[in-house]
Amino acid sequence: MSKTTATVRATHRYDASPERVFDAWLDPKVAGRFLFATPTGTMIKAQIDPCVGGHFTFTDRRPDMGDVEHVGTYLEIDRPRRLVFDFAVPAYEPTRTKITLEFAPDGDGCVLTLTHEGVFEEYVKQTEGGWSMILDGLERALA
Amino acid sequence: MLDEALIALADPTRRAILARLADGEARVTELAKPFAISLNSVSKHIRMLERAELVRRRRDGREHILALNPNGLDEAADWIEGQRSLWAWRLGRLDQALKEQL
Repeated sequence: MSKTTATVRATHRYDASPERVFDAWLDPKVAGRFLFATPTGTMIKAQIDPCVGGHFTFTDRRPDMGDVEHVGTYLEIDRPRRLVFDFAVPAYEPTRTKITLEFAPDGDGCVLTLTHEGVFEEYVKQTEGGWSMILDGLERALA
Repeated sequence: MLDEALIALADPTRRAILARLADGEARVTELAKPFAISLNSVSKHIRMLERAELVRRRRDGREHILALNPNGLDEAADWIEGQRSLWAWRLGRLDQALKEQL
């Protein structure tokens, strides 16, 4: 049974060096302000063990959903070029999805590309037919 | 309905049926023709697409004509867009945090 996934991408240019932007993701004080944050939530916990295989926990307190804990593991740390980690929200769905960050120098700043793979797995249920849950081509189908 | 739509889209035969219907409505027999599977299995796929409200069926005499429901993918597309805009918002927050560090 093959299993592939849909992908969401976002990019942003920063007036800061790739090193500074990269470090923000591994510094709990800075990361707690944006990573896994939501417009209505308050980050009450941001714990980071910044090494390959190291874990992190971010807990966002949301008015409608209570405390939402995100847990994950760093898979690749290649400062200042690339950072890869997986994460899950165990209260809702134990399946982990993967985030890849790529930092490209751009003049005196840098362009960050974020790729979130597997965002649909959490929505896929095993059906009685036992179909293989192949989600590749979803974006093509949506086009 | 999002679950149904995503499960319906998870199969290459059903995606091919949708791609065909994107070119215009078709009879069940016409839809079945390009596939090396029985009319019965094609009908099962079509029923899943109908349950997910991605495809609509109408009758023309004894013929069943199938058409794409153009709004059927809205929920899935909205969800993808919601994810994208959440990450875009977070990247913007990072920008703000970096500016405040200076």
